[in-house]
Amino acid sequence: MASSPRNSYSEPPIIEQVITEFFAKSLHIILESRSPYVSSRNYSLDHFASSPSSSCSSSSSRPRDKWFNLALRGCPAALENFDLWRQSNLEPLVVDVLLVRRSSTMDVTRLSPGGCLLRNPSGKDRFPMSPRQDELGTRSEKIIERWIVQYESRKNSSCGKEMYLGSRKSSSVSSHSSEIPTLYKKTYKRTIVMLRSLYLFVRLLPAYKLFRELNSSGRIHPLSLSHRINFFIDPFTRVEDAEMNQFSFVPIDTPCGRLCLCVSYLPTLEDVSSEPSTPLSTQFIMDYVGSPTTDPFKRFQSLSSAGLARRHSWSNDHGGMPSGSPSPSPTYSDSQAMHYNPNVRLPPRHQHDQPPSAISIPHNASGARKKNTSFEDYLSSPFLPTSSPSTPIHFHGGRLPNSLLRFGSAPVSIPSSRHGRNSGLLDQAQPPSSSKPTRPGYSSQTDLCRAQNTSASQTSSPEGKLRTKKDPLSSGDFQTGISLAKAFSFGKDEVGTLPGLKCSSTCIPFSRSSSRLSLLDGFDDSEFDYPFADDEDTTESCNRLELSEGKDQVGLNLETRGLVPVPRSPDAVIGALVRMLNTAPPLQQDLSNSVRSSQVFRDKAWIPRIQHKEDMEAEVEKSESPVSSSGITATGLPKPRTTADALAELRSYKETKELLLKQGGSQSSDDDCKDKSADGDSSQC
Amino acid sequence: MNAEVCELKELEVAHFEIREVLRCILHTIIFHRALGLIRPKGIDCEHFEITYVQCGDAEVEKKIEEKIDEFINKTEKHPNRKSQICLSFYEIKNKQSTWFSNNKVERLYWEHWYINLHVINPKSHGKSHHNKATTDLGGGALEESTSRHAALESSIREVLFQIIRFVNEKKDHLPSIPIQEGISFPYEITILSSSDSPFGWHTDVLKRMLQTGHPTMIS
Repeated sequence: MASSPRNSYSEPPIIEQVITEFFAKSLHIILESRSPYVSSRNYSLDHFASSPSSSCSSSSSRPRDKWFNLALRGCPAALENFDLWRQSNLEPLVVDVLLVRRSSTMDVTRLSPGGCLLRNPSGKDRFPMSPRQDELGTRSEKIIERWIVQYESRKNSSCGKEMYLGSRKSSSVSSHSSEIPTLYKKTYKRTIVMLRSLYLFVRLLPAYKLFRELNSSGRIHPLSLSHRINFFIDPFTRVEDAEMNQFSFVPIDTPCGRLCLCVSYLPTLEDVSSEPSTPLSTQFIMDYVGSPTTDPFKRFQSLSSAGLARRHSWSNDHGGMPSGSPSPSPTYSDSQAMHYNPNVRLPPRHQHDQPPSAISIPHNASGARKKNTSFEDYLSSPFLPTSSPSTPIHFHGGRLPNSLLRFGSAPVSIPSSRHGRNSGLLDQAQPPSSSKPTRPGYSSQTDLCRAQNTSASQTSSPEGKLRTKKDPLSSGDFQTGISLAKAFSFGKDEVGTLPGLKCSSTCIPFSRSSSRLSLLDGFDDSEFDYPFADDEDTTESCNRLELSEGKDQVGLNLETRGLVPVPRSPDAVIGALVRMLNTAPPLQQDLSNSVRSSQVFRDKAWIPRIQHKEDMEAEVEKSESPVSSSGITATGLPKPRTTADALAELRSYKETKELLLKQGGSQSSDDDCKDKSADGDSSQC
Repeated sequence: MNAEVCELKELEVAHFEIREVLRCILHTIIFHRALGLIRPKGIDCEHFEITYVQCGDAEVEKKIEEKIDEFINKTEKHPNRKSQICLSFYEIKNKQSTWFSNNKVERLYWEHWYINLHVINPKSHGKSHHNKATTDLGGGALEESTSRHAALESSIREVLFQIIRFVNEKKDHLPSIPIQEGISFPYEITILSSSDSPFGWHTDVLKRMLQTGHPTMIS
């Protein structure tokens, strides 16, 4: 009632829901354009095209899209944080956007959300996205924007709509029902407009430019963006206040209060481009795949050979594909090449694989996700402006949505394991002592991974697998769905007991992970279902992944071969071989000579003629994996081949392989065995 | 019914910038008036470091492009002028048939946006400046075009903020959201006759004489 301490109750339920959703949407809009990795511009087309064909799979993300008629990218960060906020009885929601500066990009020591220091030998793990305010020597942070979303309740006595209250008291249903829709529509319409202007406004502020630069460039910057969410307003210092500009959106009146939204922001930010950064150089790629930036075929080649290593890149690009924003990153250009090259159909498969990997990294997400879904379920019948307001929705309930099961199926562990593998490959490609430049997007994912893992106070072991297994929050929670609740209740408790809690440390990892999930969610296309479905039975072991993929597509074997468990990491083997190829000048000469003998055959068989060296590389890869003898070559172009062709090729490969092995000496001794087996296989065909 | 009017700050644009500037402004306005379900698209300007938002509707985009084409054609014929584009939103009211007319569709305008562009020819513009500044050539011209560009960019930002402020302050006049298919309120874009050429020239000169500060001062 009006006298309830919960001012939320003083509004008609339907308006209360509008208010609640307004908070959610505002948070979503802000974080979508500040929290790395969820830039909407990269998203638009795919999602839009797929969403109208509403399948059940998308149902969980769509209801929220309808709120305020503004469909946004999934941003679990927002949803997670919002879920925490929702328990705070319409407290102000304060979003601080932080500019974080690291003193060094190499061998970074960072503060985990849990407050423990993590040593990062690989350099791939990033600092948590929701850092605490504490400052270490290695990093400093500064608030560059503060968004305050607030519901100001009028004194109950002055609650403007006495008519409404009166009708409520006297249970005069008729006047009640006639009044509310009008109020509702009015409030709703204004809120729509306000949120649209917010959507534009966040993109006009300097932080957006920074966000874009940090997100899109292929460089590691000492700067990064982070955010922190509070449920109370922590006043600025005088200095901070002085340098901030203010903008207040015109408050929207509701029957018993008003909705306020304002922002304080720094009018000028440091120019990121002027900052020293570690380039993600092409060398990095070249070390194991040649130069991917020039020759399209080479690019392709590099993709197939480095498929595993690229997974993360792809997942990053996943969001960025449609727009194809320019990025100096070689990986990025590769992915673009893939998109534009109709011949390249294998890599897309990878792309589909990507989402799960990206998603799964934050295991806590499972908990978050469940929460999100259930929440969205509540909203399954969002009010459209024209819809009947007669069905107030109650948020507080324990209903477990079906969608939970679906999300539960999302593989948590896979990404981690991949991550681990990648690190293996990367380590091969680059000396561990050097910094590991990764792209910002990628880093953000790893950050999450790290952040989550840190909750279990794990060390920064490069083995994602191990970490994931140990992580209490992440492991197995998905399947049961129970531990999820636990994880969440944990978060709730924290909020409940510590009203001033800075939730960033706990919720960000959630949100991040869930953002990926929901993003995928948006893609109701069956193609995106694939990864999920596949991952459903996937546990943390790579073997399983390999099996399932193998079932679905033999052609994928080439790419997935890296997943086959071998005594030595396949990636490492590839890396070693490729490095050997690149660094052995005489070998190249010999190679071309030896291959020349079979030139005629090969010219027929391999229509797009590729440099010998590349063929060799491809072959090396093939030989490692017996399965790869299917029609798919390293270039991904299936070709009809006769037995004679195959034999001729085989011969030439053998020759070159022997040369190679001679050159490589003991380095590739274990490859030799595999090689032979591969040769044996192919000679039988 | 009185329509709300928003007169946007005049922008001094070179011919090649017209399209981008108009896209930016028109889409921004319509984005705020497309209250149907939209999936917004952030668009980066090509010439400016500005990201604006489109409502992601092909119809809207097509209509805007058509109007921009029309406007550009017009300015090609009459360069160095001030022009105005009006974006108007209206409601459709079906008038009851009377004894002398059948059902008539009436447009009730509830909002007008005036976009003011001063299309300049950068070369002649440069000349006029140099007449005053006398000597500097090539380098100076480059510098000037850079500063002019920066000034324009910040002016566009101002216009966008102006739009944001307006839509936030004026909400009461919005009609109820149309149930029909279109995601936006019905609207029309009209290209208004530009100011008279001689008059425009005079004001131009006058403005220049009054304009003591360098354009970059604006930013």
